[in-house]
Amino acid sequence: MKIYGDILSILYHETKKEKIVLTHVQLRTNVPYDRLKKYIDELRELGLIRDDPALGLTEKGQQYLREYQTVLDFMERMGLMYKKGISHTPLLLK
Amino acid sequence: MDNLILILAEVVSAVLCFILVRYMIKPYQYTGESRYVGLPLGFVFLGLSYLFMGFALFSDTLIFIEDTKWMQLLTQAFAFAFLAVTYYFSKQPIKHQRLRWQITFTGLIVALVISYLIVFVPPTFILPSYKTVDEYFRLASIFFASYISLHALKSHAMKPENKTIWFPLGYFLLVFGQYSFLVWSLDSSFIAFVGAHLLRLTGLLVFLLVSLQTFTPSHDAIKEREHR
Repeated sequence: MKIYGDILSILYHETKKEKIVLTHVQLRTNVPYDRLKKYIDELRELGLIRDDPALGLTEKGQQYLREYQTVLDFMERMGLMYKKGISHTPLLLK
Repeated sequence: MDNLILILAEVVSAVLCFILVRYMIKPYQYTGESRYVGLPLGFVFLGLSYLFMGFALFSDTLIFIEDTKWMQLLTQAFAFAFLAVTYYFSKQPIKHQRLRWQITFTGLIVALVISYLIVFVPPTFILPSYKTVDEYFRLASIFFASYISLHALKSHAMKPENKTIWFPLGYFLLVFGQYSFLVWSLDSSFIAFVGAHLLRLTGLLVFLLVSLQTFTPSHDAIKEREHR
């Protein structure tokens, strides 16, 4: 589950660039390339990401990412340290 | 009348805990990491312990009042233990400590079951008086709750923001609440008894307010989303 949130978070940042390079996503998630492809397929099946016109988050994906980041924010408020290194996307937060 | 107020305080505390479970389960749901399962478990046990105490106060004349008090004692101590273990294992990436987490969590469950069996299943062991055990269990609860408070405070100190101070404060209120109960059990101080209830209720309310603030989208956010 957490890997879905992390991948969506990175994809959201990458969509601001001209083209999403999966190798960049792979480097930031620290997941082997074949496994990353599998996760991307799963996210596509769940309707969280789309391919057309380019790889990016669907409305449902953005909603999921918002909820995921709210939970991370809650964990931070609780004093539970979680996942250093993955940058959050404050633009999507509230 | 006095009993009614106390029962009400226990029931309100239990309700607050059960509402909080709804939020406490989210870290586990969204990360899928088993180490966070201690949060909802801890608050469920905490809520149950207040219910048991409320029931013990309510059923003052019934024969199983002692059993209910023992249930409250064990359940509350294990509630704080579950929360403390969750905070302890949140420090490092789970892959480095999965086995240790599994052993600790299993150990806690086994200890919980054995404790209940010792107290409730015949042949009953000769146990020390409830009052003595209550004091030791309060000390254990204070120890676990203090650990959680200090852990949360340390996290706040590492990244000082207004929003991260409230949870440590809430936990400290629970610690002082437990301490006041301990003082009351030692010298029967009425102020300590009332203070303990107030501190506990305030602590739980702080948790609830922070949870609501986090999970309820602000008016601006809703408007912004509608615009997109």
